[in-house]
Amino acid sequence: MLFYLAKRAISLLLVLLGLAILIFVIARIVPGDPARIALGPLATATQVFEMRQEMGLDDPFVVQLWNYLYGLAHGDLGKSFLTSRPVMHDIMQALPATFELVLFTIVLQVILSIPLGVVAAIYRDTWVDNVSRIVSLIGVVTPGFVLAIILQLVASYKLQFFPVTGRIDQGLGYSAAHSGLLLVDSIIDQRWDVFGDALRHILLPSIALAAGGIGQVMRITRSSMIEVSGRDFIEASRANGIPERVVQFRYMLRIACIAPLTILGLEFASLIGNAFVVEFVFSWPGIASYGVRTILQKDLNAVIGVVLVSGVFFIIANLTIDTILGFIDPRNRLREDSK
Amino acid sequence: MSTPILEVSSLNLSFTTYGRRAQVLHDVSLSVSKGERVALIGQSGSGKTVTMRAIIGTLPMPPANIESGSISFEGRDLLNLTKPERNRIKGTGISIVLQDPLLSFNPVLTIGRQMDDILRYAEIRLGQRQSASQRKALILKTLNKVQLPQGVQIFDAYPMMLSGGMRQRVLIAMALLNKPRLLIADEPGTALDVTTQKEILNLLNKLVKDEELSLLLITHDLGVVREISDRVYVMERGHIVEANTNEEIFSNPVHPYTQKLMACVPALYGERVREVKNDQPGRPKIQVAAITKDFTQRSGFFKRTWSSVRAVNSVNLEIESGDVFGIAGESGSGKTTLAKMLLGLHLPSSGQIKIDGRPINDFSDAKEFRKLIQIVYQNPGSSLNPKRTVTQQLAVPLTFTNHSKASIMTRTAELLEMVDLPPSYASMYPHELSGGQKQRVAIARALSVNPKILVLDEPTSALDVLIQNTVIDLLLKLRQELDLTYVFISHDLSLMRNFCNRVAIMFRGEICEQGLTRDVFANPKHAYTRALLSSIPVISEREERLKPKITTAERQAVLASSTALT
Amino acid sequence: MMPVVTPEISTQHNTERLMTSNQMAWFRFTRNPSAVIGAVMVLSVVLAAIFAPILSPSPQSAGSFVDFAHRHHAPSIDFWFGTDNVGRDIFSRVIYGYRVSLSLVVGVLGVAVPFGVVLGLMAGYFAGRTEFVIMRFTDVMLAIPPLAMALAITAVLSPSLINAMIAITMLWWTWHTRLIYRIVKAQMSEDYIEAAKVAGASHAHIMFKELLPNCVSAISVKISLDAGFVILFGATLSFLGLGVHPPTPDLGTMVSTGSEYLPEFWWEAMMPGLAILYAILGFNLLGDGLRDMMDVEV
Repeated sequence: MLFYLAKRAISLLLVLLGLAILIFVIARIVPGDPARIALGPLATATQVFEMRQEMGLDDPFVVQLWNYLYGLAHGDLGKSFLTSRPVMHDIMQALPATFELVLFTIVLQVILSIPLGVVAAIYRDTWVDNVSRIVSLIGVVTPGFVLAIILQLVASYKLQFFPVTGRIDQGLGYSAAHSGLLLVDSIIDQRWDVFGDALRHILLPSIALAAGGIGQVMRITRSSMIEVSGRDFIEASRANGIPERVVQFRYMLRIACIAPLTILGLEFASLIGNAFVVEFVFSWPGIASYGVRTILQKDLNAVIGVVLVSGVFFIIANLTIDTILGFIDPRNRLREDSK
Repeated sequence: MSTPILEVSSLNLSFTTYGRRAQVLHDVSLSVSKGERVALIGQSGSGKTVTMRAIIGTLPMPPANIESGSISFEGRDLLNLTKPERNRIKGTGISIVLQDPLLSFNPVLTIGRQMDDILRYAEIRLGQRQSASQRKALILKTLNKVQLPQGVQIFDAYPMMLSGGMRQRVLIAMALLNKPRLLIADEPGTALDVTTQKEILNLLNKLVKDEELSLLLITHDLGVVREISDRVYVMERGHIVEANTNEEIFSNPVHPYTQKLMACVPALYGERVREVKNDQPGRPKIQVAAITKDFTQRSGFFKRTWSSVRAVNSVNLEIESGDVFGIAGESGSGKTTLAKMLLGLHLPSSGQIKIDGRPINDFSDAKEFRKLIQIVYQNPGSSLNPKRTVTQQLAVPLTFTNHSKASIMTRTAELLEMVDLPPSYASMYPHELSGGQKQRVAIARALSVNPKILVLDEPTSALDVLIQNTVIDLLLKLRQELDLTYVFISHDLSLMRNFCNRVAIMFRGEICEQGLTRDVFANPKHAYTRALLSSIPVISEREERLKPKITTAERQAVLASSTALT
Repeated sequence: MMPVVTPEISTQHNTERLMTSNQMAWFRFTRNPSAVIGAVMVLSVVLAAIFAPILSPSPQSAGSFVDFAHRHHAPSIDFWFGTDNVGRDIFSRVIYGYRVSLSLVVGVLGVAVPFGVVLGLMAGYFAGRTEFVIMRFTDVMLAIPPLAMALAITAVLSPSLINAMIAITMLWWTWHTRLIYRIVKAQMSEDYIEAAKVAGASHAHIMFKELLPNCVSAISVKISLDAGFVILFGATLSFLGLGVHPPTPDLGTMVSTGSEYLPEFWWEAMMPGLAILYAILGFNLLGDGLRDMMDVEV
């Protein structure tokens, strides 16, 4: 098991390295002078020249790449031209908000989509299945920003129950001091008013963010449950007198959940991507909002930093899923360990 | 005669798909008495599996629908029971051993877990309670009954860690756990090698006697039926066409279908054997000198560790022009690797292959080599591209040997005629053809560039026996007409006896015995050959007597026991 | 016991050819409500885009036309979807917006699909180094949040329809590569590939004549599903201000502008939003239907 995970971790770290190099190369081959882009059209030639010196743009490409990777290994992502602070500092400030949103979304996706998929498979071709199919389809096809606006319109403006934007009511004067996650820290501090407020803030953005994944994962859970139900060993279990509920939940779901969990991992980057637009609509103070702002301002260092941090997110998510799958499905880990 | 434990009477069953109703069982009646072994035999699609699933109650309804008839077990009509009552019988009254020993296990749970579940839920249904350790003791005892003494290791193993023979034994143990009165076995051992199958059949026979079980055996293999049944039902397209005792059926089959089935089983010994001769042995077509093939696997953390497996070990062969040369062996014996080396698809690690007197790597022009030797694969479902028409597939070898468009068209028509297919099949896709027709197309493709040698890799094993013979006849006819030399790779020794003039027996990568087919079968020298021949289920007492005898000790000495933990 | 023998069953073989595969596919298509509804929806979007000048009640609304007398009109008989902040007919702008969306789809998939398919064929067919390089590269691409990447590329290249197309194309091919790679890998163990090699077939023949035909149904399902998501992606980009330049009517931009007038003039954001949803839904239903019909996994 450890061997299997170590192997997965190394291959994922190689992905991260590849990502870092790819992003850097793209940032250098796009048309236009990065120094000029950073300074804007009003800068003088001297300013541009000094900027090029400072950014090391006149060094050979390999040297630039090495310096950049070296800095990266030491947690240095360069300086943001927009805020004039180290990119790492900016990202660390925005990170907890995004982390909380994404984590909450994933939890929402797992606890809603997999059970619903199982129910749809059990009641296959009945009205339950049809309703679930329509719901999942709506989830998949509704653009995140359209859903976000609909939610704002209905739940916030009309019902006046949910706040339109933001992460917490500033009037509460609370700052998350433990983990940076409001929902967790407020429980630790036993500030239930803060917890309730944070929950009301996070619910709409995370629904808007989760909807697509819920629909997709639900359909995959359904079809893989149906696929598993046709296998010989399921018939064997039934013929051996194992009760139907046990066959469904212990024997079938255990195998059927492999595919949806894998998909959740693979689609993680898309989730982060969608967080960009959802955070934008709800003015959620996370790295995605920061990302959109810096991208619009062509702040290259910050953009690279944001993409890389998303890559780290992706890797952590996939490693977690690999660990869970390693426990659920012995086959991969046996294959690796037996070699 | 005692009262039947299972009685199916006048069962009519249909399936409805896309609004079309198709009746699959017509007035099926059969019975199994206490302690009796009953076989239900039929080809694929005859309805025998549907009958089995109707009895155990795992048919999905709809689309299946029982229109009339009854299934009674120990005097109670199963079709009138409530669901919980019916479930109470599963595993404890009737239990099953499914066909495929790998697919019948849940791959993500340990064997012990799966067996414990079966036991535990049966106890809950029956209102008894045992402790976990009592259950484990019972499981180990049951594993011991199926001759698996290392029960403790098996208990904690995952299915993929066991060999095929062991999995089949564990499946039987699972079926026995709750002390059923009736055991239903679906093609037991069919997916295994013949020597392992023999052990499984012996085990089933012993268990039926020791545990006082009744047995309902579902199979397509007449040889298996003869060894393991008291009474036989023959099924054809949803009808029971003949029912009689074992001796009567085999000595005096009455129904034409039964007779046809019998006639199709290739004889191992006796006057039904067809001798194939090579009338004018010419010069050697294939010479194989001391070839060895090692496969290296890269594994370990950075794929640095190299381990090597010897698939073929210093093999020498000489195949003469006009021979039908059989290479026999069980799975993993290296016979397929040898065939692929003859075709130049694998390079030998050492040694030399000469085709038509020229070393194989001497053919500077690949086209020339392709015109010399071609292959027919085991499964036409896999060897024909599902998305290309018959003509398109036949044209491939021609296109790449510089034939013009016009000559390709005439040649494909010629080829279809050669394999007895109507010209209208040229525009069809493989899924529109039957298994036998597909294999004819595959043969035509192999013959398209007029090769001198055909490698036949189990060309009939994916086909029903009835069709198997027509394909073999076609191959013999083509050999005459086109002066071909065949290399026939198979695990089926009965078929080989009737198709090859010379054979070689492969065992763990080496050739342990070779010679004229007649001599090798009449007087096998190597203990493995004897073990192999003695394991083959045959369909007459006469053949049984002529089979070589082998002692258990000898058998154990040559065969890796199927109960070894891998 | 009594031996039982029944008379021989007459052997009537079904020699007539059943339905051809095309007839069968059509039969299954028409029996599949979601496929039919999806096809009708897609067709309506395509026709609306093609015949926009004829169909739209107010073609001049597609441009920088201004009619302050009619600004912020709620949906009515005259203005089906209402009017926007400068009095343009939203329904007309939506129809013209489909033109932009569909040209994006054609541009992106026209390049990304062939490119991705060829790379997938190569990765699956040539094992070893080719496979390693292509597949590891797609692994890296998988870790990039696509929207962030597309935003960054369009931002640097300056926002326009062409640049949005380039940015999306650069990300999109990997999905096709992975899909084709998976299908080809599964096929490589089939005997017909080896049979083609034994027949002396060239690499190009095996890739494009043996392997590719077996990928076609999966590709067509994927294209249908993709078309919807390209529309979504493009709309998201322009919603964030990185798509098409105004005054060209673009659905994402319309939602973005309209959302400034929430909640009282809700139709200005909602109508174009629902129009996007309608198009994506159509392509998805069609793709789902095709998937069930051809029984492929995508």
